Amino acid sequence: MTSGTLLFRQVNPSWVKLGRITSQAFMPTAKDRGRLSTYDGDRITAENSWRHYTRELGFRSAGVLAVTVGECEARGLSVESDPSPFPEHVVVRFDGCSRSQVVKNAKHLTRLATARGWQHQAESEAA
Amino acid sequence: MSESAFLRPQLIGERFDGHAIPLEILKDLAVLEELIVEVAKLEFLKEHPGRRRSPRGFTEGITLKLTGVEEGSAVPLIGLFPEPETLLPPKNRHYFERARDTVIRTIAAAERRQDVTDVLPEKMLTYFDRIGRSLKNGERMVFAAPGRDVQAELTRETRRRLILASSDVMELTDDVSVRGAVPGIDQDAMTVQIQLSDGRKIKAPIAPQHLDVTLEAVNGYKNGLRILFQGVGRFDRGDRLLGFECIEHMGLVDPLDVAAQIDDLRRLKDGWLDGQGTAPTGVGLDWLNDAFNRHYPDDLPLPHLYPTDPGGVQAEWTMGPCEITLEVDLDRRCGYLHVLHAEDDADDGRDVELGAAAGWRELAGLISSLSEGRR
Repeated sequence: MTSGTLLFRQVNPSWVKLGRITSQAFMPTAKDRGRLSTYDGDRITAENSWRHYTRELGFRSAGVLAVTVGECEARGLSVESDPSPFPEHVVVRFDGCSRSQVVKNAKHLTRLATARGWQHQAESEAA
Repeated sequence: MSESAFLRPQLIGERFDGHAIPLEILKDLAVLEELIVEVAKLEFLKEHPGRRRSPRGFTEGITLKLTGVEEGSAVPLIGLFPEPETLLPPKNRHYFERARDTVIRTIAAAERRQDVTDVLPEKMLTYFDRIGRSLKNGERMVFAAPGRDVQAELTRETRRRLILASSDVMELTDDVSVRGAVPGIDQDAMTVQIQLSDGRKIKAPIAPQHLDVTLEAVNGYKNGLRILFQGVGRFDRGDRLLGFECIEHMGLVDPLDVAAQIDDLRRLKDGWLDGQGTAPTGVGLDWLNDAFNRHYPDDLPLPHLYPTDPGGVQAEWTMGPCEITLEVDLDRRCGYLHVLHAEDDADDGRDVELGAAAGWRELAGLISSLSEGRR
């Protein structure tokens, strides 16, 4: 991975409202333990990441957004490969951030990803 | 001739303050007259078991009239009038007074959860489908027969008990207000299909004056356009909306209408977030909807609403470079309010108490300032 590597993030359909995406899309949930799951864009395409997520893992995704490794690191968030669940799995580490910092970083990443636009979109899933 | 003491129902509730009576209540009182007339016939037949029907002209020309409104939230004075204005034969009047007392005793029995069919035959109970239909939650009509020691309160709840006490009733009607999309219209039959927030589709008749809005709704269906329908709904005995008897008002709903967004959240099931994710509770969503209605000013920008992983709701506003989020804990009725000014990276996060008006004032003040470009 380089600083320009895209990190693909799947977006739950309930987190898209009238085309607007909640900043929760880039916020680790309780089960993530401060580690935001993404796909390594150097190793998989956005469309294939969506297929893997929805077909192999059986989860729901309205589409795929992306931030770069550099954008995460610029906010003090380290990016690590974590191939344990699947080979392309990469985590963005929010652990050590305060609540306010988590929210702030998630908002910044969502703004960047939204400005970049959908990398892949499931027409039938998008709300 | 005025007979002002025949019936004096006391209407209690905010809408009746200043001894004012909304016109829709008069529809209920008109049906009350129909019921009293029918019960008077029964009273006659009880006294004349050999007869199969009341005498010709028994009720002809008899009418109840509103003669005035007294204070006391509001008390319509209803007189019993013979038409033409001649005196009623005394024994006929007696049947109408007994009928009035029977109706009051029936309502009283429902109030006490007693068997109302001991007082009034089942077939007569169907009249209550149209009596008291205009009452809102918290409102009541208090009946007392002059010179009798019986008092009864008709509320939405007692009305429901009265109607359901009749095994003949498979459906009941009630005023209803729902938001829904319009996938189709039958212009020959002048009916419309309404898709409710739970995905169910119901039918409703439409009036010519609502045709333009309906066609606009059909055109906007694919884009999620929703309509607010207000009118008389038909419900099954389990209180499930089956359709509309009539639609009185229709209007386009703002895409960010809070109640409509909350309706969407009601459809979530536990596990909505990749097998995790708790669905918000109905009680919690009711509270949030009510709180927004009461405390969030109409003229401020509306938020986008999203579910949160632990069963809450997150309200979000984007205003240029500002990102505002309010993460709401529906159980504890509190929230975490965060503002990011993306252009200079400044942010502020704080807990707010949403169980009282002060927390909502704080939110409204913030949104108001930011929407005007102030920090």
